[in-house]
Order: sequence, then structure tokens, then C-alpha cells
Amino acid sequence: MATLEDTLTTKRTPLYHLHQANQPNATGWQHLGGYAIKAGQDETQVEPTTVAPACGLTDLSALARVGLRGKKAATILSEKHYQLPAAPNQALRQEDGSLVAKLSASEYLLLGSFADDGERISRDELAWQAAERAHRLPDAYLLPRQDTHAWLALTGSHASDVMAKLCGVDLSPKAFAPGHVAQTSVARANAIIINASQADLSCLYLLVDSASACYFWPILLDAMQEFEGKELNIMALRHHHPA
Amino acid sequence: MKIMNCPLNGPRNISEFIHGGELKPMPNPTTCSDREWADYVFYSDNTAGVITEWWMHVASSYWFLAERHTVTDEILRTFDPQEIFQERIEFAVEEKRS
Amino acid sequence: MNRHVSPENIQTMPTRLPAPMGSLINRQQPITFQFEGTNYHGVEGDTLASALIANGRYLLSRSFKYHRPRGPLTMAGQDANTLVQLPDEPNVLADTHPLSQGLAVTGQNYSGSLDHDSDMKLGKFSKFMPVGFYYRSFYKPKGAWKFWESLIRKKAGLGRYDLNATGSYHDKAYLFADVVVVGSGPAGLKAALTAAEGGAKVLLVEQQSQLGGALTYARFDDAGVRAGQVREALIPAVEAHVNIHVLCKATCNGWFTDNFLPVIQGTRMYKVRAQECIVAAGAFDQPAIFRNNDLPGVMLASAAQRLIRHYAVRPGKRAVVLTGNDDGYLAALDLHEQGIEVAALVDMRAGPVDTRLTQTINQHGIPLHVEHTVFEALHDKTLHHVTGVDVRRITRRGEVADDSLTLECDLLCMAAGYMPMYQLLCQAGGKLTYNDDVAEFSLSNLPKHLYVAGSVNGLHDLDQVLQDGVIAGTQALHSLDLPATEAAPLVGAPKQVNFPWPIFAHPKGKEFVDFDEDLQIRDIINATRHGYRDVQLVKRFSTVGMGPSQGRHSALPTARLVADATGRTVSETGVTTARPPFTAETLSHLAGRSFDPFRVTPLHQRHLQLGAKMMPAGDWQRPAFYPSATSGHLDRDRCMQEEAIHVREKVGLIDVSTLGGIEVRGPDAAEFVNRIYTFGFLKQPVGRTRYAAMANEQGVVVDDGVSCRLGENHFYVTATTSGLARVYQSMLQWNAQWRLDVDIANVTSAYAAVNVAGPLSRKVLEKVCTEVDLSPEAFPYLELREGKAGEAPARLLRVGFVGELGYELHVPSRYGEYLWDLLMKAGEEFGIRPFGVEAQRLLRLEKGHVIIGQDTDGMSHPSEIGMSWAVNRKKPFFVGRRAVDILDEQPAKRRLVGFRLPATSAKPLEGHLVLEGSDITGNVTSCEYSPSQDAIIGLAYAGADKATPGSHITIRVEGGDEVNAEVVKLPFYDANNSRQEM
Repeated sequence: MATLEDTLTTKRTPLYHLHQANQPNATGWQHLGGYAIKAGQDETQVEPTTVAPACGLTDLSALARVGLRGKKAATILSEKHYQLPAAPNQALRQEDGSLVAKLSASEYLLLGSFADDGERISRDELAWQAAERAHRLPDAYLLPRQDTHAWLALTGSHASDVMAKLCGVDLSPKAFAPGHVAQTSVARANAIIINASQADLSCLYLLVDSASACYFWPILLDAMQEFEGKELNIMALRHHHPA
Repeated sequence: MKIMNCPLNGPRNISEFIHGGELKPMPNPTTCSDREWADYVFYSDNTAGVITEWWMHVASSYWFLAERHTVTDEILRTFDPQEIFQERIEFAVEEKRS
Repeated sequence: MNRHVSPENIQTMPTRLPAPMGSLINRQQPITFQFEGTNYHGVEGDTLASALIANGRYLLSRSFKYHRPRGPLTMAGQDANTLVQLPDEPNVLADTHPLSQGLAVTGQNYSGSLDHDSDMKLGKFSKFMPVGFYYRSFYKPKGAWKFWESLIRKKAGLGRYDLNATGSYHDKAYLFADVVVVGSGPAGLKAALTAAEGGAKVLLVEQQSQLGGALTYARFDDAGVRAGQVREALIPAVEAHVNIHVLCKATCNGWFTDNFLPVIQGTRMYKVRAQECIVAAGAFDQPAIFRNNDLPGVMLASAAQRLIRHYAVRPGKRAVVLTGNDDGYLAALDLHEQGIEVAALVDMRAGPVDTRLTQTINQHGIPLHVEHTVFEALHDKTLHHVTGVDVRRITRRGEVADDSLTLECDLLCMAAGYMPMYQLLCQAGGKLTYNDDVAEFSLSNLPKHLYVAGSVNGLHDLDQVLQDGVIAGTQALHSLDLPATEAAPLVGAPKQVNFPWPIFAHPKGKEFVDFDEDLQIRDIINATRHGYRDVQLVKRFSTVGMGPSQGRHSALPTARLVADATGRTVSETGVTTARPPFTAETLSHLAGRSFDPFRVTPLHQRHLQLGAKMMPAGDWQRPAFYPSATSGHLDRDRCMQEEAIHVREKVGLIDVSTLGGIEVRGPDAAEFVNRIYTFGFLKQPVGRTRYAAMANEQGVVVDDGVSCRLGENHFYVTATTSGLARVYQSMLQWNAQWRLDVDIANVTSAYAAVNVAGPLSRKVLEKVCTEVDLSPEAFPYLELREGKAGEAPARLLRVGFVGELGYELHVPSRYGEYLWDLLMKAGEEFGIRPFGVEAQRLLRLEKGHVIIGQDTDGMSHPSEIGMSWAVNRKKPFFVGRRAVDILDEQPAKRRLVGFRLPATSAKPLEGHLVLEGSDITGNVTSCEYSPSQDAIIGLAYAGADKATPGSHITIRVEGGDEVNAEVVKLPFYDANNSRQEM
């Protein structure tokens, strides 16, 4: 498998250095969406049955994401065949595995799928950027979520227990079902939380200010300790995401 | 900790919000007297009763209005500012002040 | 009955009462520990106090003021008599602290030893230490307190802190419930079950390690079987219920608005949020007030029952029970049943409510004295333990006959009544009213979603208590809109358990009303005589209720005494305010895991790799300066000067990613920017930048930045690092009213930004931005371009904060590090070096640029700081416009001026005062040695008459010296701006 040097890219995710420092001699680096990501010590570790502990934290920041807001946002998304949630603070899993969250009456957040490494969202974003430059995207405004936000996934049955140590919103499965979205304060900083659980995998997505990602990561790990939480690499999680 | 019901996000700890002052009409800045402007900017009626205030849910950057009783601190109602501000506000070209 | 108790060797394993006594202990697990240097044996499940009493050791502490010997009073952590010193922690309650193997404990607050405290003689002088003594005695003559203070502090201190203590892991967690029930006595159990059966998610909080409350230690019937039956019926059902989450050894330490409850369990503080809250916290057993009621061996009847049932410890060998209610009879039966001789049951009343009890007591041969009281507890000269009682007939309220009956005993149990556990409820706004019929306080005026059940609600009959739990549970279900069958109302009148006046003054005093503070009856009466009629003032003057037990035993007798002394009712007198916390909590519980968010730029790692000295800027981390290129040292002044010179002479690179970035897009974008900022923006050409200052409605300049017009309907505006959040919020608030067709997006974190500055900056950029024509003609000063830096899409701004040729490059954050590396590599041949915030501040000072927030304050309006040029007076409106106009028409009071001092002068610091004679006319806002000027330069507010260049201002510097600085025209450097525009 590739070494870090092999995968040097022009792009960096917010936690790139933190992962590198935690795993200086890792051989398991590979590309995802043009970013170098930590894939694991070696391939044999990527065993679907063993890699999902009761409590795991994964950095998904290399996957594509973008925001779209404005009077025409819904129309534009529908034209691109996105299924839209009915009300604000809801999220809808798309057929291809990507996710669309509605954050206000006219704001949407699109999260890329494992299935195509976020390719669909990246492609659409590029097209919208071109349209915006050519003034062909009236009443809709792109939000650069890929750069403003880091994307973390907290998995396992203890996800809401971990969050209860950091967040004043009840995120237990009964109160915060799959498809629910909470824009709230986590460890005194802003975050968007999405219940992205599917099949048998409980999963909370956390979108946090990319500049605060280095603040959040160790705090989450600390809160996970009592549940024997572990860092999971993105490839391991991928196995659990049927998409 | 008090709970406030955000029209967009639902009931949340009051620490998720910032206060944006009491809602009060701005006098016409081009025609009002200095005293009227100073009164608008610096003075508060300090009403003992129900007042309307600006509040913002920080995590979603959403401003809304709340009716709160200043004596009991009970929040009676929260609503989107569009209920009050429906029309685009224009500022007239400056007129001569007397 | 064994009337001959053989002496026991306390050094050997003491015997315990047979099972089922001892519900909390495990007899199979012996534990050895030490108290005051002596080794003792206890068992697992013991508290320090229960183990010591099992060994015959009652004296655990010395009282606060008189150093009187004290022993356990409540066995429930509700008194200060058991405060002991652990090796690493003072003021630990021995009656709740679990025993552990090898624990070494000592007493505290004594001189010499716990058993022989030389400070005890203070008690002999108690006549000369009347109430309010401290306030009245040591303040005259003036200055006397300084002398007395250290002596008094030494005498008054409790315990020793371990100054080498290290932190331990504490945290907090939210816990959500539909219904929280505080207290798991019969009412709490029943309330929890009722709510859970109705479908509510219930959290049951219990302070003890087992459920049941009074059911675990008290006796409810003469046969002594009722408690066990109720426990059997309720506890397994509660424990098995899927809807009930039980938290034992957990203390609900406060009530906050909307049922927000801090619950401490171990090293964690739960922040419980519940829709509905049921307080079933019970009631405090109350002592009687008579002479020497504080001796070791004198305890609440419930304390003796806890020792028996929880720990299988025999509380004494020969007991007297003093009671004002039927519960005292039941306690006497408990003692008798466990082989403790009951020398007398002394009932202050004419007899029990339940007349069958008299018969039962007689059957067991317990001598009963009705309408009698204990007038004095007797002792030997050490005061180490009660040795007997002086029993007298009550003649009138609080008065006794002269005939006395002396009885020997080593245990005196008191059951004078109950005080509802009112603290949480009063914190919630509940009002206490004294009900004269039952001589007890009751609670009313509770907020919505808060209910009471059981003895805290003034009910003491077990059937009523159970039914009250059902009622409260049902009320909670109704409020939750969950189905509930209507609860049957309570049957019968409340049972009277309080004796109205269990207070017996003795000519020689020492009848303690407040054990923590050593306050006697006369102290409370005297406080009222000093004119402190209000119970709040009595508290502050006498310190009653201020000790660790916070009035749990003193509030009721104090209220009665104050009411009596001031001729009012107890309701009128009331009790002092109960505030959180309910029990002592440690700072580590309050702190938990401390969350202190910080932000770093995409270039953070590069700064660290270069060895930069980082500094906080708002919640960001920024490089202040880098190690010196010549010496490698991290010396602020030297590094800053070197970096500044390098920018002036060659080329430097600074991370400005923390600058706020806001996209304003839409048909009304120009109109919006024009309203928000003071300058004119409607006609700002596309591809141009423009300085943008923001005022508030008071006309004060609150932020500034650069407005970049990227398109007809697209502005990208920057804001100061620390001002961004406020600017963004205020923009959104304004447009919530204006309803302009515009989108406002905070994109600060989306961009990494660097400023390449210095005469060689164009050469560096030419290697990086190959597709952009960087020539002065094609890309002049203040212009803006979109292009590429290497592979990264970039916004290029020709702006000059530092006054040299320079470019600000904004690229998506993901490319931040790439851009930095690219520029460092491209600039290598030109000697490019990074510079930090300190050098940038110096460079801009040389150019006379104002930093909003540093050179401005809450009063600075545009013309004061020389920014009238940035105010457009032709446009109809901008935020603050009217105030700016009003201020400009008034005579100027002060101006921000540039000043200059010789390099050899004392350097003023920020905040140093500008003086005009003895008047303060302003202050220094920025000041630094300028390498380009070889002078000390700065900005300061000064009187408006001093604003003309050539004037002089007086600045008072460190040490009080005054320097005379020349006011000079700004900028200090490159007056015709040729360098930044080249």
C-alpha cells in the first residue's frame, strides 16, 4: 500500500496533520477525492466484523460536501434529482448513498456518498460554480462547506452517550431518530449533528468549523474513553455503509 | 438553565442564544430630532411587562423575535421576524433637516 | 434483656447485630483503618462513622467555636459533627465517606489531640464571646482587626489542604428524562412506578447506596414488618422497570429553571433535564434543644436506627429516647428489640396519637414518662460522652419543674419532629408556610412541572405517603399528555409529628440551636435584641445556618425563637433563603472537563514547524513572531524588528487566514454593503477593493475591513479577527428587518489567506500566479483579481496594510498549506521570510493605520480617529449615520494623534495616560520603537487642541515619570504612499 509521500497532494483536510502525527509510520495512506487519507495500518485490518467497535470516531472530511441556499435552491437540487427533506432540520439519504440535509427554509447541505467517493456532489458543485460565475445561478448561493466544515462520524450504540457529555440536546435514538438534524453547540462550539444511522450501524455525523476540528477531535476521543471508543479509518467505516 | 423555543430549531438551552436588544422602531434618521435619535439609541423604557426582543440562535445564525415578560421572565411566544418585517425597507434620499 | 454489658476490647473486631440488620455491610470483607493513630476494624459497606461507633468511638470532631467534643448526629451526612481529615482532603463527612482498606483518618480543628483539645477552654469563655462577637469586638480601635485576624483565622480553620494535590478526572454529562424523581423513599418509589407505568421515561435519584429511603431504616408499625413489606413490593418492581433509570449515591444539588438539575454521582456531575420533576426528598429529623444536646452519644432517633439497620451497629448500651411524636416510640421498640436497654421513653406530649403504642411500650417494660423532657444531658469532666440525663416534667411551654429524675445512659435519641427537605423547592420559588395545627412548615407556590410527594409534602402516615407518590406520578403523566388513571385522593388528616416547642432554655446555657456554629438559645434571642428582627439579618449577625449543614436542624428552632422573641408568627418570620448547592460540592465537579474552544488556521502546522511563538487572537492561535534569523532566539522585540526590516527591504509572508470573510451576494448586494459600511459602495467598480469601516447606531466605529467587488452582485468583505462574529450577526439582524434580496454567508474558515509584502513581493508572485498580469499598469494598487496560485484558485487583493508593495492571496482552506509552501519555495531566491502579528502591528503603526479595538474604544467616532474620509455623506443612510452627524456638529473633545519620541526616551506603554496639567486628556493606544524611523512612535488620544503636528503632549510612563512627545503628521513612514503603490 502507498506511503504518505506517494500520496502527497495539493489538498489537505483539516485533521491531516493530526492523523499523521498519530500514525507517523503508517503505510496505509491513499487518495480519496484528491485528499491523502489514512486508510489503515495494512489491508488485513480492514475486517468488517472487527472494525466497528461499540464506539468509533472517523474523519470523513475527504468526502465531498457543499451547501446551497436561496429561493431557487430547492428547484435547482430537484433538477439534479436530489430528494429533498420535507422540513428544516431533517436529512434524507439519497439512493446513491449521499445525504441531503435541510438546514432552514431555503438552505441545503449535501454530503457525498462512499459509493462514488463523493464524485456526484463534487461534479455538481463544479457545475454550479461555473454557473455562478456565468451569472446563471440566480437566487441560489453556493456555500463552500468542504472548506468551512470538517466532517466527522461518531458510530456505534454509544454515540448518543458520548454526545451527552458534550451537548445539551437529547440525541438518544428515541428523541433524535435517523434523519434528524440538530444545529447546536457541542463542547461550547457550533456544530451540525445529523443522525445518519442506517441498517445496523448507529451513526451521528458532526459537521464542525474546519478551524476547530483540531479542538474537537481529542475532546471527542476523551468523551469516548469510557465506552472504549476508538479512532476508525474511513475505509473501515465504508464497509459498514451500504450505499 | 432556561429553555427557549427557537422557531427554527425548537426548544434549546438559553445558552445557545444571544440577545439582540429590544425591538423598537427606528425614528426616521433624516427627519428626527437629535433628542429623538439619542432616545432611540441610548434609552430603554425598562417596561415591567411583556416586551418583544431580538434573539439569535447562534449555531444556525437565525434571528427571531420573542415576547417575554420582564417580571416573570416567562417567554410567551417566539416567531420569525417576517411576521413583522414583510416589506423591503427603503431609506429616502436625504431631506434637509430643520 | 442483658443489663450487664461487659466491657469490650475496642482493638479487636467488634461484634455486630445479627442479620437482617446491616443492609449496607458485607460482614465477610473486613477492613482495617486508622483513626487518630489507632487501628480499627470495620467491614465493607461501613462508613467511617459507623465503623468507629462499632468500635465504641463516638468522638469524631471538635466544634467550630468552643471545641466541644462532637459525635454523629444524623448518620446521614446532614451535620458538621463528623467532619474529619483525610490525608489529601479536609472536611470529609465521616458518616457518608465509605471505609476503605488502610485509610488513615484524623480529626481536625483541635490543639493537641482530638481527645485532649487545649482549645476547649474557649468554651469556658463563651460568656465573653457573645453572638456577633467578631463583628463587635475586634474592629476598635481602627486597625485592630489586622492584629486579631491572623490569630482568629488560625483558631477558626477547619482541616488542612494538600497543597501538592494533583487533579483527578471529573466530567459532566447531560441526562434527559420525561420525569425525574428526587428521592427513593416510599413516595419516590411509588411516584417513579406510576410515571413509568404510564409510559414516561423516569430518572430516579437516590442519595444513599440503596433504594427505599426511610423504608431502609425506620419503623412504621409496632410489629416492625410494614417497611419490609413495602420494600418488597416496590423496590424490585422499580429496579426491573425498563422505563426507570436509577441513580444511587447521587445527590441532586440544586434546582434551576425549567427542571435543570445538577446531580452529582462519583466524579461526574449529571446535568439532568426533565420535563417533569417530582421532589420526594423526605424530611429532616429534628433535634430537641436542651442543655448539652450536642454531647457525643446524643443523636437523632433516625441516626440510631440507621446505625442498627444499615450497619448492624449497636448505637449504645443503655438508651433514653426523647420524643415529641409517635416515631420515638417506634424507635424505642427498635432499640429494645436489638438488645439495647431503654432506660426511659420521655414523651414531651401527654401521650402518643396511636394509643396502642403505650400498651406496647409497657408490655416491653420500657419506662414511659409523658409530659416530660430531657432538661440536660449529663457528662463527666471530659465531655467525651453522654453519661445520663436530667429528666423533668414540663410545666409550661419551654419550662420545667424543679424536681428532677436522673437516669444513667450512654445513648440519647431525639425525635422532636421533622423539617421538610425544602431546599430544592425553595430554589424553584416555592414558599414555606408554617402550619400551626401541625407545627410544621409546608410548601406552596411551586412552578409548573414541579411536584412534591411524601414527607416533604407534610405527610407522615405511610399510606398517605404512598398515595401521595401516586398522585404526583399521575400529575406528571397528565402534564406529559400520557394516559393515566385518575389517582385517588388522600384519605384522612395529616398526622402530627412535630412537637411545637421542643426548646428548653437552661440557666447555664449550652442548649445548641446550631451545632455547626455553636449557637445557643440566647445567641438567637440576643440577635433579635440587637435589633435584627428579620430572620435573614439574624442569620448574618449570628451566623446561624451558615455552617455545613445549612440550617437543616437550626432553621426550624431559629424560626420559632425569632418569631417568639419578636412577637410574630413563624410563617411571618420564615426561614432564610435556600440557595444551591444543597450539599458541598467540589470545584472539580463544577469544572468537569473544561471546554475552551480554539481555532487554528490551515497554516498552523507550518508555524509550529518554524518554531513560531504563538499567541491567542480571539479564539484563534496566531504566530506572534518567528525565531530570529540571526540568533535563532525567540525574543519578541528583536524578532519583531528583524521581521519588520525584512518586509521593508525584501519580502515577507504573513498568515492572515483569521481575517473574517463574508460573502454578500444577490441583486441587493451593493445596496446592503452601502447601508452597513460608512463609505460609498454603490459605485465601487467590479475588480476593485475599498476600505470599509463599520459604525454602530451610536456612531462608534466598531469594525473595519476591505470590501472586494467580485461581480455586480457579489461582494467579498473582510472583518477583523475578533470582530467577525459580531459583524456577521449584526449584518443578519439588519437584513432580518430590511428584507433586501441578498445572501450573507460567513466563509471565514473556507479561506486560507496570506499577505506577501515587501518590494520583492511582485517577483515572488510572478513565479506563482503565472496567469495573472501582475504589472503595475495591469494590476494597480487597490485592484483585485481572481486567478490561480499554482493549482489553487485564488483571490488576489492589492492592499497595503503594512505600507509596502503587497498582495493578499485568499485560497480555499484545503490549499492553504500548498500555497504557503509554494510561496516559500518561489520566494527562496528573494530571501522570503515569514513574519508574525507583532511585526505586522509595528509596520502598520509606521503607516499610521488604526487597529479597531486597539486604537479605538467604545467612544471613538470617525472624525475622532481621522476617518472622516471614509464616511460618505451623500448616501441617504448607513448604520450610525445620524449619530455620526450629531457627533460631528459637537465640539471635538479628543483626537487620535501620532506622536514621536527619541529612541533613547522611556517607552510609553499602551494605556499610559496623556496629561494636560493634572487633567487626563487621553491615553496611549499603540507604541513601539520604529526601526525605519529610529524613534519611538505611537498613537494616542489627546485633547483636540493638541492634534496639530508640532504640538506636544505629556505622557505619564511607567514609574510615574512624564515624557514630552511631539505630535506628528501621519503616517510616520512613506508619507506619499509611493512604496505601497509601486
